[in-house]
Amino acid sequence: MRLGLDAAESARISLSAIMANKGRGALTALGIIIGIVAVITTMTAANGLANTFRESFSAVGTDVVYVSRMPWVMVNDFFLYRNRPRIDLEESEQLSVNLRGRAIVNPTINMNRPVKYRSNTVESAEIIGTTERQVMVSSVVPRDGRFLMPFDVQYRRFVCIIGDEIRDRLFGDTNPLDREIYIGRNVFRVIGVMPKQGGSAFGGPNFDLQVFVPVTTFEKLFGGRTAGRDVNIAVKAPTQEALADLEFEVIGEMRKIRKLRPAEKDNFSINKLDTLVDAYNNVMGVVLLVGLAVTGISLFVGGVGVMNIMFVSVTERTREIGIRKAIGARRRSILMQFIFEAGVICLFGGLVGILLAWLLTLLIDATLMPASISPGIILLALLISILVGVIAGIVPAYKGARQDPIEALRYE
Amino acid sequence: MSASREGAMAPAAGHSLAISDVVKTYVMGSTEVNALRGVSLNIGRNEYVAIMGPSGSGKSTLMNVIGCLDTPTSGTYLLEGQSVSELSDDELADIRNRQIGFVFQTFNLLPRANVLHNVELPLVYAGVPRAERRKRAEEAIARVGLGDRAHHKPNELSGGQRQRVAIARALVGNPSIILADEPTGNLDSKTGEEIMQMFDDLHAAGQTIILVTHEDNIAAHARRTIRLKDGLIESDVTTGVQVRAGHGAPGG
Repeated sequence: MRLGLDAAESARISLSAIMANKGRGALTALGIIIGIVAVITTMTAANGLANTFRESFSAVGTDVVYVSRMPWVMVNDFFLYRNRPRIDLEESEQLSVNLRGRAIVNPTINMNRPVKYRSNTVESAEIIGTTERQVMVSSVVPRDGRFLMPFDVQYRRFVCIIGDEIRDRLFGDTNPLDREIYIGRNVFRVIGVMPKQGGSAFGGPNFDLQVFVPVTTFEKLFGGRTAGRDVNIAVKAPTQEALADLEFEVIGEMRKIRKLRPAEKDNFSINKLDTLVDAYNNVMGVVLLVGLAVTGISLFVGGVGVMNIMFVSVTERTREIGIRKAIGARRRSILMQFIFEAGVICLFGGLVGILLAWLLTLLIDATLMPASISPGIILLALLISILVGVIAGIVPAYKGARQDPIEALRYE
Repeated sequence: MSASREGAMAPAAGHSLAISDVVKTYVMGSTEVNALRGVSLNIGRNEYVAIMGPSGSGKSTLMNVIGCLDTPTSGTYLLEGQSVSELSDDELADIRNRQIGFVFQTFNLLPRANVLHNVELPLVYAGVPRAERRKRAEEAIARVGLGDRAHHKPNELSGGQRQRVAIARALVGNPSIILADEPTGNLDSKTGEEIMQMFDDLHAAGQTIILVTHEDNIAAHARRTIRLKDGLIESDVTTGVQVRAGHGAPGG
């Protein structure tokens, strides 16, 4: 009960003290405001980056493993991988046969080539040789027209499905279906248009700049294995849970296809979303660390500012401390009064900081990337600001609390 | 010239405070200053005492000891039968809160708090619940005739009114002793008289009052005058005569 009364009196007197020195309080809070803005912005940016990342690589699929010559993220030196044999379409076909009924297998080959329609050119379109099974792996289907059919692949037809940005830049408002475009020096007929997907952050692919052609046509024109281009084999598990088991089956089947002896190491790599997520987490860890270091420094500086002003406040009110002690205030009451005051200044800074960070987040959301403040972050920011206040207030408050009442009453 | 040294005797029951052989030595740099050099003093309930003496006589030190703001270097001090000479800071704060009502020369009100808040402050530190606190503070304010000023800030009041607020604050916790240090020192003589009248009334109502003053006409309100000199009691005279007419029968 007594603690509650102390708290009420502390609140009352510290608020009136702060109101009596509004400008000083506001300036002091500035340090905290900056710190809190830094806290929230760091967290929000980290969250936003994580979301953007997830979006960018959503096409990778959580239930797909990729068999490639190279790992996506190199953990060893490049020379360990460069002598590996390239993966070719026969191996993909073999894998598909071996995994029949257990997984969907789709080979792809990529390269960049300019695409042209009349006088319009897109310089760096990503040309992807693939099969009709592409849609089963990525589950993105054309917005207009159709995707590849087995006979397109079987007969090496010169047909393509274009991404939304390619369509926009080559055709504008014209309907692209059944028009003929140049990929390099070859003419392909547009049979489908993919929906707008976006994504290009973090070096992820820009889906809207992709052009799909039959992998067989691709191989015939641009060469598969011989031209130094790798085939990537996507293997899609029936469920996400089955992926882990499937990964080992794929390794086993690939070793069989390549006739590797037990002692030999894999001469291919298995890639999956987790590989990217791990790499991403490493990068984000550093980003967060730097952000938190900056935040910590600004909060420390802000806290020192608060401590400084609390020393001033305690000195100014020496006489008040004397009066309070004379009429019966214990040390703890005086201590609480000043800690409360420091806490309130910092809480005010925290609230303003949250407001500013919120505006900043809206700005980031509108310009850079999707971002939003979560209630957890707001709560954390409030806790941090109060904590900084309490810590910054302790030493000055203690100085006030142990004043000798006689000396304090004599203070002018 | 030591008259009626009651204090040398063992503290008797019924005494509000009993001080015996109190010595207070301050260390100032390399020199020791003996502010009190063996003071013994009993003050009974409902006494009206003036402590006088020139500056440097130890009067302020004695007041600080009596007011539990300071502890004696040696000697004993019983306040309401409780020894307070060896208490911790917080214990002394509790004693001041319950037993002592201070009235200072410079009023010492909290400038940002209104009259009501100033007066209820001792009760806040005593842990009295809000409603009761407010009721008792309002009673005390009414008792000093400032019922209509409860929500004014000290800087909106005259000096006399401020001192009344201080008296209300001293009264609100029902202390054993009201300890007034030059209560009229910052007031004009007319207002000073009004304040002294208030002390007279409080005494008549049964309150123990100790005045610390260097003015004879203020000390004349008291029934007993203790003069200090060089850290010792020089004289202790009980007049038993009420100087001002018409304020209750002489007690005794």
